[in-house]
Amino acid sequence: MIKFKCFIDYDKEEKWLHEMANKGYELERVCLGYKFYYTKPKNVTIRIDYRTFKKKEDFIDYCNLFGDCGWKHIAGSKNSGAQYFKKIDENSQGDIFSDAISKAGKYKRLSSMCGVLAAMYLMLSAAYISGGYMNVKAMLNPKLLYLTPGLWERTGVPFWGGFLFETPFVILRGFVFIIPLVMILYVYLLIKAQLLYNKTKKVL
Amino acid sequence: MNRDKNLPLTETTYYILLSLLEPAHGYFIMQKIEELSNQQVKLAAGTLYGAIENLLKQKLIQSVKNEDNRRKVYIITEKGKEVLLLDLERMHHMIWITEGQLKL
Repeated sequence: MIKFKCFIDYDKEEKWLHEMANKGYELERVCLGYKFYYTKPKNVTIRIDYRTFKKKEDFIDYCNLFGDCGWKHIAGSKNSGAQYFKKIDENSQGDIFSDAISKAGKYKRLSSMCGVLAAMYLMLSAAYISGGYMNVKAMLNPKLLYLTPGLWERTGVPFWGGFLFETPFVILRGFVFIIPLVMILYVYLLIKAQLLYNKTKKVL
Repeated sequence: MNRDKNLPLTETTYYILLSLLEPAHGYFIMQKIEELSNQQVKLAAGTLYGAIENLLKQKLIQSVKNEDNRRKVYIITEKGKEVLLLDLERMHHMIWITEGQLKL
Protein backbone atom coordinates (compact mmCIF):
# COMPACT_ATOMS: atom_id res chain seq x y z
CA MET A 1 0.00 0.00 0.00
CA ILE A 2 1.28 3.46 -0.82
CA LYS A 3 0.27 6.58 1.09
CA PHE A 4 1.14 10.17 0.39
CA LYS A 5 1.62 12.43 3.33
CA CYS A 6 3.89 15.31 4.19
CA PHE A 7 5.49 15.88 7.57
CA ILE A 8 7.97 18.39 8.87
CA ASP A 9 7.53 17.49 12.52
CA TYR A 10 9.34 14.16 12.91
CA ASP A 11 7.59 13.44 16.22
CA LYS A 12 4.25 13.43 14.43
CA GLU A 13 5.62 11.30 11.60
CA GLU A 14 7.02 8.76 14.09
CA LYS A 15 3.68 8.63 15.85
CA TRP A 16 1.82 8.10 12.57
CA LEU A 17 4.17 5.27 11.52
CA HIS A 18 3.66 3.72 14.94
CA GLU A 19 -0.13 3.85 14.47
CA MET A 20 0.17 2.34 10.97
CA ALA A 21 2.19 -0.57 12.40
CA ASN A 22 -0.49 -1.02 15.06
CA LYS A 23 -2.93 -1.58 12.20
CA GLY A 24 -0.54 -4.09 10.62
CA TYR A 25 1.10 -1.83 8.03
CA GLU A 26 4.85 -1.85 8.30
CA LEU A 27 6.99 0.68 6.51
CA GLU A 28 8.93 -0.78 3.62
CA ARG A 29 10.40 2.26 1.94
CA VAL A 30 9.97 6.01 1.57
CA CYS A 31 10.29 7.52 -1.87
CA LEU A 32 7.88 10.38 -2.68
CA GLY A 33 5.24 8.43 -0.72
CA TYR A 34 5.28 5.84 2.01
CA LYS A 35 5.20 2.21 0.90
CA PHE A 36 3.81 -0.26 3.44
CA TYR A 37 3.50 -4.02 3.49
CA TYR A 38 0.82 -5.80 5.43
CA THR A 39 1.81 -8.13 8.26
CA LYS A 40 0.03 -8.56 11.54
CA PRO A 41 -0.56 -5.63 13.93
CA LYS A 42 2.62 -5.00 15.88
CA ASN A 43 3.93 -2.57 18.41
CA VAL A 44 6.77 -0.99 16.48
CA THR A 45 8.93 1.96 17.50
CA ILE A 46 10.17 4.07 14.62
CA ARG A 47 12.65 6.92 14.99
CA ILE A 48 13.72 9.37 12.31
CA ASP A 49 17.01 11.19 11.92
CA TYR A 50 17.93 13.73 9.24
CA ARG A 51 21.34 13.39 7.66
CA THR A 52 22.99 13.35 4.25
CA PHE A 53 26.37 11.82 3.57
CA LYS A 54 29.28 12.76 1.35
CA LYS A 55 30.66 9.25 1.01
CA LYS A 56 29.05 5.85 0.70
CA GLU A 57 31.25 4.44 3.49
CA ASP A 58 30.11 7.20 5.88
CA PHE A 59 26.52 6.12 5.27
CA ILE A 60 27.35 2.44 5.81
CA ASP A 61 29.22 3.25 9.03
CA TYR A 62 26.24 5.31 10.23
CA CYS A 63 23.73 2.51 9.54
CA ASN A 64 25.97 -0.03 11.27
CA LEU A 65 26.35 2.10 14.38
CA PHE A 66 22.58 2.31 14.72
CA GLY A 67 22.29 -1.40 13.93
CA ASP A 68 24.80 -2.24 16.69
CA CYS A 69 22.66 -0.23 19.10
CA GLY A 70 19.48 -2.12 18.24
CA TRP A 71 18.04 0.23 15.61
CA LYS A 72 17.58 -1.27 12.16
CA HIS A 73 17.82 1.13 9.23
CA ILE A 74 14.64 0.54 7.21
CA ALA A 75 14.33 3.48 4.83
CA GLY A 76 16.40 6.37 3.52
CA SER A 77 19.51 6.59 1.37
CA LYS A 78 22.85 8.36 1.27
CA ASN A 79 21.33 11.56 -0.10
CA SER A 80 17.68 11.30 0.95
CA GLY A 81 18.06 13.17 4.24
CA ALA A 82 15.40 11.48 6.33
CA GLN A 83 16.64 8.18 7.78
CA TYR A 84 14.14 5.74 9.30
CA PHE A 85 15.05 3.34 12.06
CA LYS A 86 13.08 0.53 13.65
CA LYS A 87 13.76 -0.67 17.14
CA ILE A 88 14.71 -4.35 16.97
CA ASP A 89 16.24 -4.89 20.39
CA GLU A 90 13.91 -4.72 23.38
CA ASN A 91 16.80 -3.79 25.64
CA SER A 92 17.94 -0.80 23.65
CA GLN A 93 17.00 2.73 24.64
CA GLY A 94 13.66 4.30 23.78
CA ASP A 95 15.14 6.92 21.49
CA ILE A 96 18.03 7.41 19.08
CA PHE A 97 18.94 10.61 20.92
CA SER A 98 19.87 10.89 24.57
CA ASP A 99 19.83 14.67 24.93
CA ALA A 100 17.68 17.54 23.68
CA ILE A 101 20.44 19.37 21.78
CA SER A 102 21.35 16.40 19.60
CA LYS A 103 17.68 15.61 19.03
CA ALA A 104 17.10 19.21 17.90
CA GLY A 105 20.19 18.93 15.67
CA LYS A 106 18.21 17.09 12.98
CA TYR A 107 15.94 20.12 12.55
CA LYS A 108 19.03 22.32 12.32
CA ARG A 109 20.37 20.15 9.47
CA LEU A 110 16.95 20.08 7.79
CA SER A 111 16.63 23.85 8.01
CA SER A 112 20.11 24.51 6.62
CA MET A 113 19.39 22.13 3.73
CA CYS A 114 16.18 24.08 3.01
CA GLY A 115 18.23 27.28 3.19
CA VAL A 116 20.68 26.00 0.58
CA LEU A 117 17.86 24.92 -1.73
CA ALA A 118 15.97 28.21 -1.25
CA ALA A 119 19.14 30.14 -2.15
CA MET A 120 19.64 27.98 -5.24
CA TYR A 121 16.09 28.62 -6.44
CA LEU A 122 16.46 32.32 -5.65
CA MET A 123 19.54 32.52 -7.88
CA LEU A 124 17.77 30.53 -10.56
CA SER A 125 14.79 32.92 -10.40
CA ALA A 126 17.08 35.94 -10.60
CA ALA A 127 18.86 34.45 -13.60
CA TYR A 128 15.57 33.77 -15.38
CA ILE A 129 14.24 37.25 -14.65
CA SER A 130 17.41 39.10 -15.68
CA GLY A 131 17.72 36.92 -18.77
CA GLY A 132 14.18 37.91 -19.74
CA TYR A 133 12.87 34.34 -19.57
CA MET A 134 10.49 35.16 -16.78
CA ASN A 135 8.14 38.11 -16.87
CA VAL A 136 7.45 39.24 -13.29
CA LYS A 137 4.36 41.19 -14.37
CA ALA A 138 2.86 38.05 -15.90
CA MET A 139 3.08 36.36 -12.55
CA LEU A 140 0.46 38.75 -11.20
CA ASN A 141 -1.44 38.95 -14.47
CA PRO A 142 -1.38 35.62 -16.34
CA LYS A 143 -3.29 37.23 -19.26
CA LEU A 144 0.04 38.63 -20.42
CA LEU A 145 1.21 35.12 -21.21
CA TYR A 146 -1.27 34.94 -24.11
CA LEU A 147 0.44 36.31 -27.20
CA THR A 148 -2.42 36.17 -29.74
CA PRO A 149 -3.07 39.81 -30.73
CA GLY A 150 -6.47 41.06 -29.59
CA LEU A 151 -7.42 37.78 -27.93
CA TRP A 152 -8.99 39.42 -24.87
CA GLU A 153 -11.15 41.72 -27.03
CA ARG A 154 -12.74 38.77 -28.81
CA THR A 155 -15.99 37.19 -27.64
CA GLY A 156 -17.84 33.92 -28.20
CA VAL A 157 -16.42 31.17 -30.41
CA PRO A 158 -13.41 33.16 -31.77
CA PHE A 159 -12.39 33.90 -28.19
CA TRP A 160 -12.76 30.31 -26.91
CA GLY A 161 -11.11 28.93 -30.03
CA GLY A 162 -8.05 31.14 -29.63
CA PHE A 163 -8.03 30.75 -25.87
CA LEU A 164 -8.15 26.96 -25.86
CA PHE A 165 -5.65 26.76 -28.71
CA GLU A 166 -3.10 28.86 -26.89
CA THR A 167 -3.60 27.56 -23.34
CA PRO A 168 -1.27 24.52 -23.70
CA PHE A 169 1.50 26.87 -24.91
CA VAL A 170 0.79 29.25 -22.04
CA ILE A 171 1.15 26.41 -19.56
CA LEU A 172 4.53 25.59 -21.07
CA ARG A 173 5.53 29.26 -21.05
CA GLY A 174 4.32 29.69 -17.50
CA PHE A 175 6.15 26.61 -16.32
CA VAL A 176 9.15 28.69 -15.23
CA PHE A 177 6.98 30.22 -12.51
CA ILE A 178 7.36 26.98 -10.64
CA ILE A 179 10.89 28.13 -9.75
CA PRO A 180 9.94 31.08 -7.49
CA LEU A 181 7.08 28.99 -6.05
CA VAL A 182 9.50 26.23 -5.07
CA MET A 183 11.74 28.86 -3.54
CA ILE A 184 8.87 30.14 -1.40
CA LEU A 185 8.08 26.56 -0.36
CA TYR A 186 11.67 26.03 0.81
CA VAL A 187 11.66 29.32 2.75
CA TYR A 188 8.46 28.13 4.46
CA LEU A 189 10.04 24.77 5.32
CA LEU A 190 13.16 26.53 6.57
CA ILE A 191 11.12 28.63 9.00
CA LYS A 192 9.10 25.61 10.17
CA ALA A 193 12.25 23.56 10.77
CA GLN A 194 13.85 26.46 12.63
CA LEU A 195 10.82 26.76 14.92
CA LEU A 196 10.91 23.01 15.59
CA TYR A 197 14.62 23.31 16.35
CA ASN A 198 13.97 25.98 18.95
CA LYS A 199 11.14 23.95 20.45
CA THR A 200 13.00 20.63 20.57
CA LYS A 201 16.14 22.18 22.05
CA LYS A 202 14.19 23.03 25.19
CA VAL A 203 12.43 19.77 25.94
CA LEU A 204 13.21 16.10 26.33
CA MET B 1 45.51 33.95 29.93
CA ASN B 2 42.65 33.07 27.68
CA ARG B 3 41.08 29.70 28.18
CA ASP B 4 41.18 27.15 25.36
CA LYS B 5 38.00 27.61 23.30
CA ASN B 6 37.14 23.90 23.60
CA LEU B 7 36.71 24.19 27.36
CA PRO B 8 34.76 23.19 29.34
CA LEU B 9 34.05 19.86 27.70
CA THR B 10 30.58 18.42 28.06
CA GLU B 11 30.25 15.16 29.94
CA THR B 12 29.59 13.40 26.62
CA THR B 13 32.68 14.76 24.84
CA TYR B 14 34.87 14.20 27.89
CA TYR B 15 33.93 10.54 28.06
CA ILE B 16 34.31 10.04 24.32
CA LEU B 17 37.83 11.51 24.39
CA LEU B 18 38.68 9.42 27.42
CA SER B 19 37.45 6.21 25.81
CA LEU B 20 39.42 6.96 22.63
CA LEU B 21 42.82 6.82 24.29
CA GLU B 22 42.83 3.49 22.49
CA PRO B 23 41.22 2.91 19.07
CA ALA B 24 37.53 2.01 19.10
CA HIS B 25 34.48 2.01 16.84
CA GLY B 26 31.13 3.63 17.67
CA TYR B 27 29.40 0.85 19.56
CA PHE B 28 32.55 0.04 21.51
CA ILE B 29 32.86 3.71 22.54
CA MET B 30 29.31 3.55 23.85
CA GLN B 31 29.96 0.43 25.93
CA LYS B 32 33.22 1.84 27.22
CA ILE B 33 31.50 5.04 28.34
CA GLU B 34 28.83 3.09 30.21
CA GLU B 35 31.54 1.16 31.99
CA LEU B 36 33.73 4.21 32.76
CA SER B 37 30.78 6.19 34.11
CA ASN B 38 29.38 3.40 36.30
CA GLN B 39 26.34 3.11 33.99
CA GLN B 40 25.53 6.79 34.60
CA VAL B 41 26.11 7.99 31.03
CA LYS B 42 24.24 6.06 28.35
CA LEU B 43 24.53 7.61 24.91
CA ALA B 44 22.02 6.88 22.18
CA ALA B 45 23.21 6.15 18.63
CA GLY B 46 22.20 9.48 17.07
CA THR B 47 23.71 11.51 19.87
CA LEU B 48 26.99 9.59 19.74
CA TYR B 49 27.19 9.90 15.94
CA GLY B 50 26.72 13.67 16.12
CA ALA B 51 29.30 14.00 18.90
CA ILE B 52 31.87 11.98 16.94
CA GLU B 53 31.24 14.15 13.89
CA ASN B 54 31.86 17.32 15.91
CA LEU B 55 35.04 15.96 17.47
CA LEU B 56 36.35 15.03 14.02
CA LYS B 57 35.61 18.54 12.81
CA GLN B 58 37.48 20.03 15.79
CA LYS B 59 40.33 17.59 15.06
CA LEU B 60 40.24 16.26 18.63
CA ILE B 61 39.85 12.72 17.27
CA GLN B 62 40.69 11.12 13.93
CA SER B 63 39.66 7.97 12.14
CA VAL B 64 42.18 5.19 11.65
CA LYS B 65 42.38 2.40 9.09
CA ASN B 66 40.96 -0.95 10.09
CA GLU B 67 40.02 -4.26 8.52
CA ASP B 68 36.27 -3.96 9.04
CA ASN B 69 35.42 -1.32 6.45
CA ARG B 70 31.78 -1.28 7.51
CA ARG B 71 32.60 0.41 10.82
CA LYS B 72 34.91 3.34 11.34
CA VAL B 73 37.50 3.24 14.09
CA TYR B 74 38.64 6.40 15.84
CA ILE B 75 41.47 7.47 18.13
CA ILE B 76 42.24 10.63 20.08
CA THR B 77 44.67 13.13 18.48
CA GLU B 78 47.52 14.99 20.20
CA LYS B 79 45.32 18.07 20.28
CA GLY B 80 42.55 15.97 21.82
CA LYS B 81 44.86 14.72 24.57
CA GLU B 82 45.91 18.30 25.28
CA VAL B 83 42.30 19.44 25.63
CA LEU B 84 41.45 16.45 27.81
CA LEU B 85 44.34 17.31 30.15
CA LEU B 86 43.33 20.98 30.25
CA ASP B 87 39.81 19.99 31.23
CA LEU B 88 41.19 17.65 33.87
CA GLU B 89 43.19 20.55 35.32
CA ARG B 90 40.09 22.74 35.26
CA MET B 91 38.16 20.13 37.23
CA HIS B 92 41.06 19.55 39.63
CA HIS B 93 41.01 23.23 40.37
CA MET B 94 37.27 23.21 40.95
CA ILE B 95 37.51 20.28 43.33
CA TRP B 96 40.43 21.85 45.16
CA ILE B 97 38.76 25.25 45.72
CA THR B 98 35.42 23.65 46.61
CA GLU B 99 37.00 21.46 49.24
CA GLY B 100 38.83 24.53 50.59
CA GLN B 101 35.69 26.65 50.77
CA LEU B 102 33.65 23.89 52.42
CA LYS B 103 36.55 23.02 54.74
CA LEU B 104 36.26 19.34 53.90
